[in-house]
Amino acid sequence: MTRLGEIVQLQTHQGTPTTSGNITVTPESQALSLRLPFGGFVWNRPTAIVIEVDRERQRIPIVDVTRIAELALVGLMIGLILWSRVGDRKESKK
Amino acid sequence: MSVSLDDVMKSAEKNQEYVARTLEKLFVAAQPGTVYSPPVVSGNYTVITASEVMAGGGFGIATGFGGASSTTPNSGEQNASAQSAQPSGGGGGGGGGGSSARPVAVIVVGPDGVDVKPILDISKLAIAGITTWGAMLMVLRQIAKRRRR
Repeated sequence: MTRLGEIVQLQTHQGTPTTSGNITVTPESQALSLRLPFGGFVWNRPTAIVIEVDRERQRIPIVDVTRIAELALVGLMIGLILWSRVGDRKESKK
Repeated sequence: MSVSLDDVMKSAEKNQEYVARTLEKLFVAAQPGTVYSPPVVSGNYTVITASEVMAGGGFGIATGFGGASSTTPNSGEQNASAQSAQPSGGGGGGGGGGSSARPVAVIVVGPDGVDVKPILDISKLAIAGITTWGAMLMVLRQIAKRRRR
């Protein structure tokens, strides 16, 4: 299990805070790292920003609309294929 | 040219160190600085772009070592024994990698507060759409062929 933890790591990082007026914005990102003896892979994506205004903190998630739309397209395709297969089986049973 | 076992081992160690250094550079992509751009200030507004970053790479190194055997028919016994005592070796390696970055959102900090504006990548969606719908049409065509039989 420890070895798996050394190979696959999911880390959440906080970036450098940026201040504009009385607003401080701290970006957050999440990185998935795969470390192998002779190779590796890194997937780093923005997850949220933490806003601090007058000592009040608020976390705003960053939504990846392109990824959601991609997954919706793939899901629609899989759904249509499954629907056609189910229809095919019903017809063959008749 | 004679190659000793020590030379081959030293070369293999150097190659491994080089691979380790190169892979560490790859994992720099896991830092938040690669995802978020430095803030750009214009008047009362500060703009930060957020991107998704992917990077990957792989290397392979192989070394081999063995004793040579003389197969020359006309060589004398002394020549044959001298040639068979010389070690021989070989090695090779290769590698590859790639990275990609895609904008996800723009963060605007202004007098009105903070606004997170998502970015819709039309090109990527179009490519994904063409690929998925093309695959779906092929599958449906095969299903239709089976129905006709």
